[in-house]
Amino acid sequence: MDTPHSSNSVIPHQLVRYAILMFWSIFWLFNLLDKVIGGAHFLWVGRDRFAQFQKYFASTGLDSPHIANAALAVAGALEAFAFVFFAGALIFEIQKSRETARRWCFIGTLLTLATFTFFSLGDHWFGDRFELLEHTLFWFISLASYLVFTHLNETDQGEAGEAWPRRQVTTAAVVSTVLVIATSTAIFQHNTTDFQLRSAPVTAEEVGENIYKVAFPFLGGSTVFERSLAQFKENHPRKTIQHIYTVPKPLRLKKADALIFYIMTEDQP
Amino acid sequence: MNEKSILRLFILIFWTFFWGLSVTDKIIPDVQFLWVGKDFFALFIKFFGSLGLKDPLFATFALAGVSGLEALNFALYLTATLSFFKASDTVTDKWFFRAILSSMVLFSLFSIADQVFGDRFQLLEHGLFWLILLASWITFKNVSIPQGEPYTWQATPATKRAILAGTALTIITAWSVWDFSDDTFANVDRPVMGTEVVEGIYKFDFPFLADKVVWEHTVNAFKAEHPDLSIDYIYTGPSELNSKKKTHLLLYIFTQPRASSLGAS
Repeated sequence: MDTPHSSNSVIPHQLVRYAILMFWSIFWLFNLLDKVIGGAHFLWVGRDRFAQFQKYFASTGLDSPHIANAALAVAGALEAFAFVFFAGALIFEIQKSRETARRWCFIGTLLTLATFTFFSLGDHWFGDRFELLEHTLFWFISLASYLVFTHLNETDQGEAGEAWPRRQVTTAAVVSTVLVIATSTAIFQHNTTDFQLRSAPVTAEEVGENIYKVAFPFLGGSTVFERSLAQFKENHPRKTIQHIYTVPKPLRLKKADALIFYIMTEDQP
Repeated sequence: MNEKSILRLFILIFWTFFWGLSVTDKIIPDVQFLWVGKDFFALFIKFFGSLGLKDPLFATFALAGVSGLEALNFALYLTATLSFFKASDTVTDKWFFRAILSSMVLFSLFSIADQVFGDRFQLLEHGLFWLILLASWITFKNVSIPQGEPYTWQATPATKRAILAGTALTIITAWSVWDFSDDTFANVDRPVMGTEVVEGIYKFDFPFLADKVVWEHTVNAFKAEHPDLSIDYIYTGPSELNSKKKTHLLLYIFTQPRASSLGAS
């Protein structure tokens, strides 16, 4: 029978330290990339930060794009240095220079805290309470992750030298394999049957005199909308569309209904 | 200053600014030049109105009470920050504890109000702030990181390379930001060109920079470009029609030939 091992040998602390440094390095690298790439392209959407900043400053009466650019450049500088220091800390950690890694991680954390403090000032100023919550959460996550990082340094019990119980590993592997097969089969089947809903027009159902209902599938987007209208006009050549009413979210069945709209028509003279 | 003190200072700065700006937001009403903030008065009026308390005095008193507590919070955090520079750690701890306690009381009151007014999202928001405050206190008080020796900047070859790399990345990012701004800033008032997706129905894919000015320019440009068409109806595409984060706003204009152009043809 497998005997349980002491808890400190199950997850090597070193891996968690790598994970923390890896997370923040990638986090800041991609934030930086998002600013360098700018706009949506093939294989990259990101977020149009220039538009976001420009609208924020314009809402306070500062219309010049240079103000938004300068604010973005300051944010970019903080992010660039945060990335460099976290990446450096990761390299030192890999080289087993743990004290140097900690010092670099400390600078990276200070830059991260400064970045989110800077953003939260903006959130108050521009009245964006959701972003304030988001940035405060990130601010705290950064602080907490540094404390965990240093705590692991102090309490490190060494690498997990002991092998995992074989029976448990086998059971976990079998259960995981079965679940992966079941999930993948379901997903691929769903793809085979439903992917055509991404572009297929939806047939309008007459629910009243000159009122037609169109219930979208979850995959539906602007293409489905346009094709559905084209099909409607083709099927009802003697009707003119007067109005389209989109059913607001409170009238939908929670998460079970996707977009629903009604086409209000009248007979052509 | 040692590492522990630096982290404590960052925590104090964050919360001092947080409450300082919250108070400023209450002092500056509505939207002004150089300040947008949030219209809490309107929010409170609507909340109390939903309870059946239509008299604005209820909302005004409640907002004044909240603002008073926020001002108290700010004063406590400011005192803690000043103590950090002037007094001992014990004094700073005491003031910070008072500030945290007062802030947690305020978020507890907010959470009670959220339940009464049925606003579950705000309840989550206030609950998270409450938790972050508590965690900030624990971190501030029990931060277990090396201290003792003051933190000194060591100009090793590695740090010099890091500064060089950071500066280079900053220059690349700033150049890219300005370049993107130059390329796209015209979208702030340039009309959007429509495409006819179904006979008589035109689609307009608005850029992220677009606002009401672009809408007006777009409709006017469309009318000038299509004098033979009359606009029957304008449909704003709901968010479900967007390609997630890629599309900002879709607009459809439904048209029909003008009677005069029909007669001429």
